Amino acid sequence: MTKRIFRAIFNVSLLILIASTFILVAFVGDYNSDRTKEAMHADAVYIAKAMETEGISYLEQLPKQNQRITWIDTDGTVLYDSYVDVSQMENHGEREEVVEALNTGRGESTRHSTTLAEKTENYAIKLSDGTILRLSVTSLSALSIFLSMTQLLALVLVIALILAGFLASKTSKSIVKPLENVDLEHPEQAEIYDEMAPFLRRIAVQNKLINKQMQDRQRRQREFETITENMQEGLLVLDARGEVLSCNKGARRLLGVDRVPEKENVFALNRTEGFRRCITAALAGSHEEVTMESDGRSYQLLANPVTEDSLVAGVVLLLFDNTEKADREKLRREFTANVSHELKTPLTSISGFAEIMKNGMVKAEDVPRFANNIYEEAQRLISMVQDIIQLSRLDEAQENVEKTDVDVALIAETVAKRLETQAAQKKIKFHLETETAVLSGVPHVLEEMIYNLCDNAIRYNKDNGSVTLKVEKHPDDITVTVADTGIGIPYGEQERVFERFYRVSRSRSKDVDGTGLGLSIVKHGAMLHNATISMDSEPGKGTEIRLIFSLAEK
Amino acid sequence: MRTRFDEQLEQLHVELITMGALCEEAITLALKSLFDRDRSLVPVVLEKDGEIDRKERDIEALCMRLLLQQQPVARDLRTISSALKMISDMERIGDQAADIVELTDQMHDKQLEMSSSLHIRSMSEEAVKMVIQSVDSFVKADLELAHSVIAYDDVVDNLFSKIRGEIIEQIATDGTNGEVYIDLLMIAKYLERVADHATNIAEWVEYSITGIHGEMDGE
Repeated sequence: MTKRIFRAIFNVSLLILIASTFILVAFVGDYNSDRTKEAMHADAVYIAKAMETEGISYLEQLPKQNQRITWIDTDGTVLYDSYVDVSQMENHGEREEVVEALNTGRGESTRHSTTLAEKTENYAIKLSDGTILRLSVTSLSALSIFLSMTQLLALVLVIALILAGFLASKTSKSIVKPLENVDLEHPEQAEIYDEMAPFLRRIAVQNKLINKQMQDRQRRQREFETITENMQEGLLVLDARGEVLSCNKGARRLLGVDRVPEKENVFALNRTEGFRRCITAALAGSHEEVTMESDGRSYQLLANPVTEDSLVAGVVLLLFDNTEKADREKLRREFTANVSHELKTPLTSISGFAEIMKNGMVKAEDVPRFANNIYEEAQRLISMVQDIIQLSRLDEAQENVEKTDVDVALIAETVAKRLETQAAQKKIKFHLETETAVLSGVPHVLEEMIYNLCDNAIRYNKDNGSVTLKVEKHPDDITVTVADTGIGIPYGEQERVFERFYRVSRSRSKDVDGTGLGLSIVKHGAMLHNATISMDSEPGKGTEIRLIFSLAEK
Repeated sequence: MRTRFDEQLEQLHVELITMGALCEEAITLALKSLFDRDRSLVPVVLEKDGEIDRKERDIEALCMRLLLQQQPVARDLRTISSALKMISDMERIGDQAADIVELTDQMHDKQLEMSSSLHIRSMSEEAVKMVIQSVDSFVKADLELAHSVIAYDDVVDNLFSKIRGEIIEQIATDGTNGEVYIDLLMIAKYLERVADHATNIAEWVEYSITGIHGEMDGE
């Protein structure tokens, strides 16, 4: 700003200086020559008069001045010259002013020197005797006046320069001052040059627009934060250098940090090997997945690079607790392995027996025994498949089963009847103590549960033992108790007997046939009926399992 | 210029976290191989030790570059100088882990089982906890945690003298296994050193935050 103003002022003053010098020189030159001419004319008249009375002696006594006086005869011969010796001068008859004076009585001319630096004004006058008196004055031309002034001009120029600089800084300051005082937040209130008004209006409009957009953005940001904050999963957004841009509550919980300082590096949150590898890979631009373990829980970490123009601009990390999923996965794998194993065992026997018979290696009298073996194994297979079907039905039908009012006592009696012969085979006394107890449930599932409990009680009993099936009605709940005097369950394994295919001792499964699914069916049935299972068991003495159906929910 | 410096400081921070994490992993795996008698972990720990050594050189070079090119002052200078000290402690922890697995590699299962009669397991848990906490105190710039690590060193020292007493007793009663007991004593000594290095790290963390090194006015 100052620079521009300075340049403008300086240019203007330079222009004025040049113009005024030019005009002045021209004017002064003109004026000067006019005055000189007038004076010369007057002098010529005086000298002519004096000469007519005194002759050449007057000329000789005149002091030498800047006027050059020449006396020329009618034929052009120079009779006298105040500057130069007469004998050396040429004929002046052809001179312009002389010719003119001879003809008209007076004549004048102007001659410039070859360098243009000097100018000679000539004035000739005809005396009464016909001779010519000529006066010449040599003066400096306009150009040489100008040249003689250059030093002065340079001085003026320097002064103009200084003055221009000073003024420019002053002016620009005074121009800028009100501009500086404009409140850009509220430009419409500023009282300032009219020329600025359009700008200020524009700024005001844009301010408003920006404010609106900012608010919009903030609102959206808040919305986004509210949504992500309340996610169960952990969400982390990193920039290309691995600094945390945003981190929600879920992520803080799963990573076990209280708060994340701004621009914190992600490795400060967690530095386990898998996490580091995952993030390094994501920052390099590849999708990565890792399962992390911490405090006995397992987390799934998904790292996704965000690319822009094929460059990694950031990374989005998704963290979720998949402990339950991992557990279920483990359970499912175990179940599949168990099912195939358990189903294969009887099938292998059947196939083995059948192969021996096919090869004719069995004597005729042994065929019934072999057939019986095959039959028994097939039966075992069937009951196992039935159990599995039952279980998967319970798995699927957790919700959409129709419950009706059932009297548990009646079911208990049915079960007792079904197991009569089996108990009798092992010489086991079966006690049944029931009272009417109605609850809302699925009859065939309840029967299956009680049947399985009693079946186990008989199966894992000692000879001459006893089984007690009790149905009791309490104000808040209905209890079904199955107690036996059997072999009991070792303490360490009491928790696990409800797992599918879990059997206390694998080696014993040969002696006592069972599917290993019974208690699992009981557990699922109990879940379906919101019942709790409690178990008291002492190895060698017996087991007591209680099903408690709560009536509170009704 | 300033942003480049900040970037380099940030890089130093990340590298130190990585190196700290490597130390934690090395010592944890070394002790796992001891107690679970898992020899497959031996090469893993040795590899980690090598990686820690490489990291130390990298970080050292980075620190030197920072010191020479940026000529940091005040807090930044403290950060860099304490980083230089910390990495040598971390590197020593990696070496101790390697020493432990080299010893366990030579022992038989039976001999390894003898460690269970001593307090080595609880000592190792404490030492690993100290390492993790000292790295944590660095990562979070947590002065309180650093103080607690420094104070905790006494616990590990006491456990070491306890184990020493136990080993003397064992050798007195059962002279045939003297060699194994000496090895176990060395493992205990390594653990005690690990705890000392963790303490050192915590002290440097304290220095980088406050500008006062614990040992200057403490002892």
